[in-house]
Amino acid sequence: MSLSDAVPRLSRVRLSLPRPTLLLLLGFAILIALSAVALSLVNRSQEDATRVAHTLRVMNAISQIQVLIRRTESAERGYLISGAPGFLRFYEVSKAQTGPTLDELAELTQDNPVQQARIAEARQLLEARLASYEKSIALHKSGDTEGALADIRNDRTEGAMSRLGTILVDMKATETALLDERAEASRDSSVWLIAVSIAGLGAVFCLGILALAINRRGILALEAAQQELEAANSGLEKRVAERTADLKEANDEIQSFAYIVSHDLRSPLVNIMGFTSEIEAMRGELFDRLARLREAAGEDPAADGEMSSDFDEALGFIKTSINRMDRLIHAILALSREGRKEFVPMDLDVERLVAGIRDSMAHQLAEANAEIHIGKLPQVQSDRLALEQIFTNLLDNALKYRRDGVPARVEVSAVDTPGFVTFVVKDNGRGIEAKDQGRVFELFRRSGRQDRPGEGIGLAHVRALVRRMGGLISLESALGEGSTFRVTLPRRLPTETGHKDNG
Amino acid sequence: MAEHVTIIMVEDDEGHARLIEKNIRRAGVSNKIIAFTDGTSAVNFLFGPDGSGSDHIGRALLVLLDLNLPDMTGVEILGRIKQNEHLKRSPVVVLTTTDDKVEIQRCYDLGANVYVTKPVNYENFANAIRQLGLFFSVIQVPETN
Repeated sequence: MSLSDAVPRLSRVRLSLPRPTLLLLLGFAILIALSAVALSLVNRSQEDATRVAHTLRVMNAISQIQVLIRRTESAERGYLISGAPGFLRFYEVSKAQTGPTLDELAELTQDNPVQQARIAEARQLLEARLASYEKSIALHKSGDTEGALADIRNDRTEGAMSRLGTILVDMKATETALLDERAEASRDSSVWLIAVSIAGLGAVFCLGILALAINRRGILALEAAQQELEAANSGLEKRVAERTADLKEANDEIQSFAYIVSHDLRSPLVNIMGFTSEIEAMRGELFDRLARLREAAGEDPAADGEMSSDFDEALGFIKTSINRMDRLIHAILALSREGRKEFVPMDLDVERLVAGIRDSMAHQLAEANAEIHIGKLPQVQSDRLALEQIFTNLLDNALKYRRDGVPARVEVSAVDTPGFVTFVVKDNGRGIEAKDQGRVFELFRRSGRQDRPGEGIGLAHVRALVRRMGGLISLESALGEGSTFRVTLPRRLPTETGHKDNG
Repeated sequence: MAEHVTIIMVEDDEGHARLIEKNIRRAGVSNKIIAFTDGTSAVNFLFGPDGSGSDHIGRALLVLLDLNLPDMTGVEILGRIKQNEHLKRSPVVVLTTTDDKVEIQRCYDLGANVYVTKPVNYENFANAIRQLGLFFSVIQVPETN
């Protein structure tokens, strides 16, 4: 699996998380609706109950009137037959109650116009009836017993009486119907209440199940995503390891390539140099012989002087170039050897190490009227030789490229960061132009006036070392003001650098 | 070194071979030098068609060996010489550009008598070869048997 395969696979995993908030809100809404409906249903049920009670009271009042009418009639007849004053008193009491009871009934049925009309009719009939009773009783009181009895026998208002009975029965029937209707409504409300409660419970239950299901799906998706992520991760790790191995191999190849090339380049160089030296030796012999021959022939022995000096010049150029080429090849060889050398990390007091380098430069410092100030430098675990080479090169450069007329002053300090230490080498030298600041780290490249000896190797070497140690080197400089090199190195150099020991 | 000692020079670079010969001669060594520019012809000469090396019984040989050869490594030739019952006592001088310490150790382990790194600077090269020539003039070389 390549790196590019792994990435889209990751993005393909959709994290379908459950939406608990939405479900919770939905649940709450259902509960609230349920409560509202239940509350209104309970209210209705209560109203229904009140109405039923009202109807019962109406029916009760109707019955009471029926009873009162019967009682009044019985008391009047009893009095008329027996003439006993007890009946008369009973009559009066009952009669007195009919009016208020009828009023009560009228009030109870105020909302019902049908019943109101009936009551009005019943009231007239009742009054007529009562009036006839009064008349009979008055007759009896006046002593006309026979006349009163005859009145009863004739019963002048019998039709009205039966009409009254019918009205009351009708009223009762109406109220009974109402009662049934209201009881029915009350039952309906209860049924509705139960139904709504069950439905609500069901809805909540369903929501719960849904939430669980969604949750479960989310967890499953999450698990799957995690598994995929782990797989991708392990693939990635493997990939990184492979790449690292590839890079290491490529690096080793470049190293050995540089080594072989520089080695093989030197071989022909020995020939060029060797035979040039042979030619040089032959040249001396040749011109000696020529001079002797000219002398013997009576010519000027120094006549070939010009040719001889041309010869010398040509040989001189060849030799200088060979020497230069030899130094360059030597530099490549040295760099490639550095790249193959194993680091040996050890505890180092960098302050002491830099002080040692300064001491070894005492002669150079005195000559250049220069001074090196060493600040507080930390202890690190690193390769002694590498650090020595880094600092020696940086300090050597700082002293070499001084500003004219200014005593060189170099400061070495350090900045501590977790895991890394940044060493700062700051000089007040001639500085490096911005366009050259990248170039100076390249092999055989130099900046500014070429008035100092050197091949352009030092900084390339330093950068190669710093990189191999897992560090960084950076440069800050202004022409004519000085340069500051910052070398960031791991506080603890890893022991396993991954380079094979090629001796 | 006695006159009858033959120097076998295995060196793929003919220029080097010539320079080596010149400088050895300058040191006063006049022995016969047989030069080979590849491993195969050198091996054929040293061990003969049957590969036994018995051709050289009674002769005294000194081998000057370069390690970087086009067809095989000098190390292989060195190993064969030192394992051959007739040739094993013949001095082998390894003269090569490699100064790899592992390579040097390996050559001595295989029985090399002298290991010289060719200096790249010609002055040093010429000087080293002349000194080697002077060394040749004083050492004893046994005859093969």
